[in-house]
Amino acid sequence: MSAQEKIDIDLFKVVFRAMAQSDNLEIMANHLTQLLVAALEIKGCTIFALNPESEELEVLASFGLSMNYVNKGPVLSDKSITDTFNGKPTVIRDVANTRHLQYPEDAKKEKIGAIVSIPIKFYGKVIGALRLYHHELWDVSEKDVDSLFVLAENIGLAMTYTRVLKAIKTIKYTVDDIHGLWLLEE
Amino acid sequence: MAIQKILIPYNFTQIDQKAIDFVIETFSHLRDIEVGVFNAYTAAPEIETDASLITGKLKSSLSYLSQKILEKGTELDSVKQKLILSGFTESRIETIFKPRKKDIASEIIQLALDRKYDVIVLNRKHSRATRFFSGSVSHKIVMSLKNTAVCIVS
Repeated sequence: MSAQEKIDIDLFKVVFRAMAQSDNLEIMANHLTQLLVAALEIKGCTIFALNPESEELEVLASFGLSMNYVNKGPVLSDKSITDTFNGKPTVIRDVANTRHLQYPEDAKKEKIGAIVSIPIKFYGKVIGALRLYHHELWDVSEKDVDSLFVLAENIGLAMTYTRVLKAIKTIKYTVDDIHGLWLLEE
Repeated sequence: MAIQKILIPYNFTQIDQKAIDFVIETFSHLRDIEVGVFNAYTAAPEIETDASLITGKLKSSLSYLSQKILEKGTELDSVKQKLILSGFTESRIETIFKPRKKDIASEIIQLALDRKYDVIVLNRKHSRATRFFSGSVSHKIVMSLKNTAVCIVS
């Protein structure tokens, strides 16, 4: 496959509208993976959140891959496409010829030909990864990688917003639970 | 004894399989048990069609993907078969495959209320970072439902 550009402003419009119309991060992330698979005509797409304690990548949303592959085992940030966690996008154009994979045999069984891994960052810190899986060799264009990077930054914003919103809701529920009795002025 | 209705939310993972095994071990020897196996899927997004070549093509690809998503529902039948082979009555096992409109906990709560399930069997993974974003499904269900037993398989 040649390095033909596949991501243009029309696709961005569709993707960002889908993101803006969802009030649930999981549904938004699932829609995003579906749209990318459909638009780029690839095998699958996964959005991971990084667990900072275990340094594992946990699946937030995935589309197109088998459950066996998605649940193949813990995906560790220091073993699986490590450049992503240094903040760099990684293109593995041929999974048969790479040392970057933690589970190369599982990738072969899944008939994955190529993987693109983009860091999801917020304030310069990696908080997850966007990974795209093609069934054949993939010469993705630099411009498309840049576009995916922009998309990943927006996913990072959505993740952070959701996290903050959830924290605020938790505080609200806790405060609402306090009976007036405990708030009597002396 | 009145019929006990058990709901098993199922998402095709190994830990979901553990929940199924738990139900088989605990309830298969009992009569008067009804089981609902439930999966809520994310339907493909609807996109506006305009003159753009890419949106037209994308719409056709998404339509194909929608069919693929719906095919996933037939995989619940294998869970049903497993339950039948383990002693549950076929006519008392229902598979429910529906598009999700809200968070997964709310979908389970709504279904449990609508169909009056007595028991919900959930699974739980430890220390999941994604819980920071989606919240704890089991916590929300336990806090929201009354007169329903909630079993958590971890």
